[in-house]
Amino acid sequence: MSQNKDKLLIDVGSTYFKVSTSEHIEQHFRDFNKDIFDDLKYKCGEIISRYAKADVNICSSANGGLSALIIGVTHTFSLKFATNIAFNSGINIIDTILYQNIEEYSVPSDLVDVVIVVGGIDSHSNIFSDSLYNYLAQLNYSNLVFVGSEQEASSIKDNIEHAVVLPNIIDDRLHIVEEHLKEYLTNLYQQDIEGKEDIKNLYDITSNQIYSTPYIVNKALPLIDARFSIVNPFILLDIGGATTDIHYSKDLVDDNIVTENEYDRLVFKKLGVYKSKQSLIFAAKNNEFVYELLTHLKVTENIFDEQSEKATKVLMQLAVFLVLCKMSHYKKSYINLKLLAVNSIVLTGGVTKVLAVEDIEYIISFFYKKILTSDHNPVVVLDSNYDIWTLGAQGNELCQ
Amino acid sequence: MKVITGVVGNDIHVVANRLIDLSLRARGFEVFNLGVNTYLEEFFDAAVETGAEVLLISSLNGEAEGWGREVKALKAKYKTLDDLIMMIGGNLVVGSGNAEDIVPRYKNYGFDLVCHQVDLNTGLDLLEVFIEDKKLQKSNK
Ligand code: B12
Repeated sequence: MSQNKDKLLIDVGSTYFKVSTSEHIEQHFRDFNKDIFDDLKYKCGEIISRYAKADVNICSSANGGLSALIIGVTHTFSLKFATNIAFNSGINIIDTILYQNIEEYSVPSDLVDVVIVVGGIDSHSNIFSDSLYNYLAQLNYSNLVFVGSEQEASSIKDNIEHAVVLPNIIDDRLHIVEEHLKEYLTNLYQQDIEGKEDIKNLYDITSNQIYSTPYIVNKALPLIDARFSIVNPFILLDIGGATTDIHYSKDLVDDNIVTENEYDRLVFKKLGVYKSKQSLIFAAKNNEFVYELLTHLKVTENIFDEQSEKATKVLMQLAVFLVLCKMSHYKKSYINLKLLAVNSIVLTGGVTKVLAVEDIEYIISFFYKKILTSDHNPVVVLDSNYDIWTLGAQGNELCQ
Repeated sequence: MKVITGVVGNDIHVVANRLIDLSLRARGFEVFNLGVNTYLEEFFDAAVETGAEVLLISSLNGEAEGWGREVKALKAKYKTLDDLIMMIGGNLVVGSGNAEDIVPRYKNYGFDLVCHQVDLNTGLDLLEVFIEDKKLQKSNK
């Protein structure tokens, strides 16, 4: 950290604040009755006052991020490409819609921050028609971006007020083109942060841009060797209070997506142990292996109703297990990772404060034995000092 | 005219795929080559994204039989592919087999043109004739 001696790094999570200086790192449980800024000043006012605005860097996942709904014409190309770009831009996807069946989908009642419409290479036309506009007329959304065939752009613009049209994310060889949509979504995220009263106030203590935490973590991955001895390929699980993020090396997917990113990100929105505890329990009860795992952990399902350290620990262990299940071939999802090729599993976020390496190793070997019927045993690395986040924040700072 | 091509399933025999790509281009087709190791859904999805009129699948290692059986059910899920011309060629069975048995079977799977161990140029001639016939039928309607 020597080159960044005088920086103060702050991460505002859904459950905790983390504050890091060159000397030490501290974390505080948030007071949800207070405004974020007031709470932060109350708990860390003294440290903050020692730093000039230019020396403070903040990232946040506290506003939950932006919600996106994606409408595309195929699973393999348009929906997959847009999903990949959205995840890598730190956006949460609430649903993906296969356009040809759009009439069969229910319309979400919550406000959607951004709708992404995509489909067709530039030489293809007559792809979208009234069924799209009828659906959108019922949907409550703040922004709409079109990133499909350029020949469709004018009818989209004619039919949808305020539609933003960007270059196609699918090129003429059916390859992905990321930069335009990624930039748009990242900017939208910034605007969202700036618009939220709670976060907006944080600009009183920093003159630097506030980034989303997953964006910062993703930045850290190419630098991870500097702090940990990790054998590639690896996956990183960021298990926190509201969501679980997975970052993985590209080598772990067989994919038609060819990009320059070395690492991709994937989010499971409702797998957290604090704010989304209930949906974590719901997912656990629906997994046929969980009861066996509970028996191995020497607890019963009554643990779900308990409020104790032990209960939090078990929930964290279940979160690790469920995330691995969701990414394996056992469950078909947007992407399946080649988990048998993983050599290291790195854990960061709240999980590192609750579980010890042995607790996690236990779950991981249970997962490999039961679900993948293998003795494979990747090395568990615990980022208990938030080094990854500091690394990313500094890395980002150096790039500015 | 747009054509999607590639080698189906876990098949990695790439030489024919390269030749097919070159020959189609030489004949004036616009080619979208998905390469080896391509799954059925990817073929159909590529046809949707590009608006291609022809899907030309190769299979060399004998896997096609297994995939062939799934073609009809999968294609039925797509609402915009009814007019897609479906062609398959290469080694369409494991071991030896004769065309008289193989061709009707694959037609039944949903292919319009079936070329078991047929030379590429002969096959592509057949394709061009088929396209012309289809055009004529359309204009007569
Ligand atoms: C080279 C080769 C390999 C190489 C492939 C390297 C590579 N990346 O391309 C390697 C060693 C990896 C390999 C592996 C295997 N191979 Co191999 N391989 C061959 C070999 C010797 C030549 C293939 C070739 O490139 N030919 C040159 C090209 C130009 O010709 P072609 O492929 O036949 O294509 C022509 C026509 O078929 C036609 N055509 C092709 N597609 C289409 C489509 C349409 C619409 C039309 C009209 C025409 C058409 O046009 C082409 C040009 O005329 C053939 C035997 C042979 N002599 O053909 C076996 C052969 C294809 N392999 C065979 C087998 C069984 C295998 C393996 C399963 C072996 C194993 N047990 O591991 C694996 C499978 C691997 C996999 N996952 O696919 C068998 C398939 C038998 C079957 N269908 O019953 C063959 C026929 C050998 C044999 N006689 O048993 N193989």
